[in-house]
Amino acid sequence: MKNGFSYDTYLNRTHWLGRICSVLVLIMLVGAPFVIGGILGAMPDLAAAGRGFLAVGLVWTVSSVVEYLVYTPMLGAGGSYLAFITGNLINMKIPCAMNARELTGAKTGTAENEVISTLSIATSALVTILVLAAGVALMIPLQPVLRSPVLRPAFDNVVPALFGAMACRYYRKDPRLAAVPLCVMVILFVLVPSLTSSTSFMIIPSGAIAIALSWISWRRGKKEGN
Amino acid sequence: MESDVLEQLNGSGLWLVCGIIVAAIAAICLIFIVRAWRAGKALGMDPVRMRRAVTSSATFSVLPSVGILLGVLALSGSLGTPWPWLRLSVIGALHYETSVAEGAAEQLGVRLSAGEMTVQAFSTIALLMSICIMWGMILTTIFNRRYLRRFEGRDLEKKTEGGFGDRAMVAMFIGMVSAYLGSYIGGFVSQRPEQTAEGIKYVTARFSFQGSLTPLVAAAAAAAAMGVFIWLKEKKNWDWVENFAIAGSMLAGMIATVLVGL
Repeated sequence: MKNGFSYDTYLNRTHWLGRICSVLVLIMLVGAPFVIGGILGAMPDLAAAGRGFLAVGLVWTVSSVVEYLVYTPMLGAGGSYLAFITGNLINMKIPCAMNARELTGAKTGTAENEVISTLSIATSALVTILVLAAGVALMIPLQPVLRSPVLRPAFDNVVPALFGAMACRYYRKDPRLAAVPLCVMVILFVLVPSLTSSTSFMIIPSGAIAIALSWISWRRGKKEGN
Repeated sequence: MESDVLEQLNGSGLWLVCGIIVAAIAAICLIFIVRAWRAGKALGMDPVRMRRAVTSSATFSVLPSVGILLGVLALSGSLGTPWPWLRLSVIGALHYETSVAEGAAEQLGVRLSAGEMTVQAFSTIALLMSICIMWGMILTTIFNRRYLRRFEGRDLEKKTEGGFGDRAMVAMFIGMVSAYLGSYIGGFVSQRPEQTAEGIKYVTARFSFQGSLTPLVAAAAAAAAMGVFIWLKEKKNWDWVENFAIAGSMLAGMIATVLVGL
């Protein structure tokens, strides 16, 4: 270790810098819709945003808390601040940091891991920023094609396409568990078609059924294991 | 009207706002890289190992980034290009952004589509997308120092598996997907089209089987494509296809709706 360098001081300053950066990014991200609203002449509808948060936001809040608790110890201080600022955790940042750690032989909870993890996540975020900037620049001339009426059904059905893909990915993990909330939801939406305008609220009972069944099955498995 | 809204959502003002935020976050990443590199050198780490971490992370991230770019393409038809570019460049993930945007659109009585988008709906959707994902940043800001201290010197690889946390996450996503798929099936079974001054609207008609099939086509095609991606990964050991699985499946579902409409 070089003279005059203190790892504790480095870590303290990382926390300090990480907090400042997180707060700055939070202000920018939450402020941007208002700035954009000012530019477009239409401010966000706060009541609708509140209702939307109660409907879909709660699911993602739980997911964020779980991600924080599980992944932060693997990422270290610098890595976790950066990972939560730059997103794409499960599909990119976590495997990327794990891969770098494995290649360099760094152990979790060590100073080496702190350095490797920070280097890995920051590099990964920069590559994404560069690839997307280049790709978006190439997309600009394609705008007239993307707005063609022929392609309109495609862009109108982004959400069903997402949930179809997610259904295949998640249902196969526990098909028996998936069958119950799916059947309940189909029956509800068939009998009360007006519910289609509040689908996001229906996530709450559907999720509750799935979590309750999953908990029962997990408890049973644990008891049998014992 | 529709192209007017999209034109506004692709306007220079939005590019500027989003560009400034992306640039600021890129600068933050650079600051962390420089600090970590200097700390590594001061700790006596071999620069070759640190360089390996940087190069392996850069190469590892290229393919997933192309997958994320396809996500920008998917969302650009309804939200314009600058906002999805910002969200997917720096903070979000495609499945999160899409489902939150749809939830917000629903509260405003519109769908996530260029035809129904208004500038106020857009700014509200943008706000909800920002709020719903900020918890990770808030938790790191408040608790990181104390939380990480608990793990100092501990070997996390020895952590035992089998907790309920992972299962709860899967169950939660199963619940979310079921609600949406149920609504598409219910919509097809118990709605019928009706011509109005603003175009075709779907109205309640229990067990008429005349509702829109297009969302089901999109979902089925995307699910089939995802099945192919999973098969390629698991049976052919093509691990790299995982990077394109969600975005590629969504594009397959979207293309299917175009083919059905031809």
